[in-house]
Amino acid sequence: MNEIPQGYYLLLAGVLFTIGTIGVLTRRNAIIIFMSIELMLNSVNLTLVAFSSFFGDSSGQIFVFFVMAIAAAEAAVGLAIVLALFRLKKTIYVDEANILKY
Amino acid sequence: MANETILMLPLYLIGFFSLAAVGLDPLFSKNKKVIYYLSLIGLLEAAISAGYALYLHTLTPAPNIEISYAKNMVSTGGMAYFFDILFCLSGILILLSSPRYFTREYKELSEFYSLILLSVSGMMIMAHSANLLVLFIGIEIMSLSFYILAGFIRIRIMSVEAALKYFLLGAFSTGFLVYGIAMIYGATGTLTLSVIQLSIQTNTINSLYLTIGIGLIIIGLSFKAAIFPFHQWAPDVYHGSPTVIAGFLSAAGKAAAMMAFIIIARAIFGGLSQNNFVKDLYVDVRLVLAVLSAATMLIGNITALVQKNIKRMLAYSSVAHAGYLLMGVVAANERGWSGILFYSTAYILMQIGAFIVISLSERNDEQNLKISEYRGFSKAHPYLAAIMSIFMFSLAGLPPFAGFFGKYYLFTAAVETGYVWLTIVAVISSLISMYFYIGLIIKMYFEDPDTQPMVAESGHAVLALTLSTAGVMIFGIFPSLLMDIAKIFF
Amino acid sequence: MDLFEIIFYFFAAIVLVSALVVVLSKNIMYSAFSLLFTFFGVAGLFVLLNADFVGITQIMVYVGGILVLIIFGVMITTKVTGVDIKEGISGKLQYAGAGIITLLTAIFLSLMFINGKWITGSSTDVHATIHQIGTLLMTKYILAFEAAAILLLIAFIGAALIGRRKA
Repeated sequence: MNEIPQGYYLLLAGVLFTIGTIGVLTRRNAIIIFMSIELMLNSVNLTLVAFSSFFGDSSGQIFVFFVMAIAAAEAAVGLAIVLALFRLKKTIYVDEANILKY
Repeated sequence: MANETILMLPLYLIGFFSLAAVGLDPLFSKNKKVIYYLSLIGLLEAAISAGYALYLHTLTPAPNIEISYAKNMVSTGGMAYFFDILFCLSGILILLSSPRYFTREYKELSEFYSLILLSVSGMMIMAHSANLLVLFIGIEIMSLSFYILAGFIRIRIMSVEAALKYFLLGAFSTGFLVYGIAMIYGATGTLTLSVIQLSIQTNTINSLYLTIGIGLIIIGLSFKAAIFPFHQWAPDVYHGSPTVIAGFLSAAGKAAAMMAFIIIARAIFGGLSQNNFVKDLYVDVRLVLAVLSAATMLIGNITALVQKNIKRMLAYSSVAHAGYLLMGVVAANERGWSGILFYSTAYILMQIGAFIVISLSERNDEQNLKISEYRGFSKAHPYLAAIMSIFMFSLAGLPPFAGFFGKYYLFTAAVETGYVWLTIVAVISSLISMYFYIGLIIKMYFEDPDTQPMVAESGHAVLALTLSTAGVMIFGIFPSLLMDIAKIFF
Repeated sequence: MDLFEIIFYFFAAIVLVSALVVVLSKNIMYSAFSLLFTFFGVAGLFVLLNADFVGITQIMVYVGGILVLIIFGVMITTKVTGVDIKEGISGKLQYAGAGIITLLTAIFLSLMFINGKWITGSSTDVHATIHQIGTLLMTKYILAFEAAAILLLIAFIGAALIGRRKA
């Protein structure tokens, strides 16, 4: 009943992954970098569900749940770190976090 | 055949003790000694049970065969137990040396022990994984606790910055890793490593997805192991995080990432495939890894030459050591795999040992870390200077220390498989590294001090230093002790 | 072009456009809210791929959890003076616009409700995946499930440890 070719989903996921990668590489704000990482993980989820649906195998969908759990865990820890840095330095721009570069 | 409970006991024990440490921490918030000894006992017991399981495993007729349990989720191979012991050992070394350091620098130790135990349990889950999902969760448990440990001193800007850098780049690399796993799933239709191997042998795969997947997994794991184009985070993170923890991250984390390389490489390229495409791919992947390995060694050692801070110097040199370890993956034969096992052991002992010595001589918010401040170190602390020299000789790869034989096995493995040019590059970069390792020793012994000598209050760190020095010496003089065990796993 | 293709292209367009906005927008609030549309679009694609439960979870975890957390992070870390959360035409014009949109939506929805022909009868083609996933999680993947519990525990500890104020 589903007539969309497999390649379309994979292509879409690939484009989404690329957009996320571009975001990580070009933006300076830690929170926007984190959002771009979430885009990348979403594209991975899309890939997994597409494969899972075309194989008729559930393990891909199970994997997606674990990716979501890990994304949530990373969000909690990551924002705590961002918050701690903000308390100390009043900035969340990663290129202003530069004590370590010399 | 030993029964499943005994074979799985290391995982049960580490899980039980790490959860116990988490649960009991608030109850003993005044008396941290209880949790300290509980964690030490937990790591020791896990290591001993892994040793016993390893012994049982060597008694089986075919010790190089891995057996899967729990619905093909965990495997019990000799390599898994070997790395279990290694990770527990590194955890023990860190636990022994950290309480004094943290009470001096930070006055607080809450949840530290539980985090160390939890990260060790993550690495052990990785070691036992027979399924890409379990491997991935293990990697994430390890990485997540590493981010937290790097930012453990949350009132120190450098520490929090290190945590942020580590977190952002770690999460970025997780994206690549998990996309690679998804592509492998798309190529083979399964996540179980043995079934992946089977379907590659029987040629029921999509070769395009497999190629993309392998490439993405190499990128993801290269980030975790700090291998050349993805190594820039390593010096910043190891410099910024608290000193003892930097030793743990750089040694145990690197060993774990290398272990993930071994697990995935053996699953995909392990069986002799009838498939010409996979054979060609194998040659290409090894060539790419060889180039990465050569570049990693050279870049790491050359940048380490110009560093003025000792933590940064060791951080760059740890990048170079990741290059040496990768040579074993390039060789991909019995000698290469067991060489990685040997060198990981030696590297964990000497790297953590060196960082413990640094943590003892460090004062007041990361002062006394310049290499020039180690002038005349031997006059103030003759024993510490002697121990540090042993670690430096071993890191430089001079006999009769463990680092020499680790390099020897890896280099000969690369020569055996025809990568002579890689070995030449490795030898050249080891020679470059002599300059800064020996330079530190010369500063400690043959120059006059220009600062006041400091008092080192070591506490249990003495025990950790004794352990690691003894290990470096013993495995350097009798390398066959370790090598004979490591060989039978492959 | 049948219905499936139209729905696919619709969701794909939503995902791509909003992802581009996330990455390119100068205003961090726009990025955060545009991420919401990406998550919804991906959830729609999941449902289109017969993964209904994953789609629901996507909305609950990502939109209900992660996105709320991100927006909290944005609000806490952006300097209150520097942020322009409210931008553009201010005052009563906004209320008027919002009112018109709400009215139109209400009219549209009630027209749909009155005139729409509701399909009655059992749908035979669609199988819910929730039963299968639940069984697999509790049997084959139980070890991974427990390991994920440890992972979440670490996240709890870490967030509490690092996010705390100075002791």
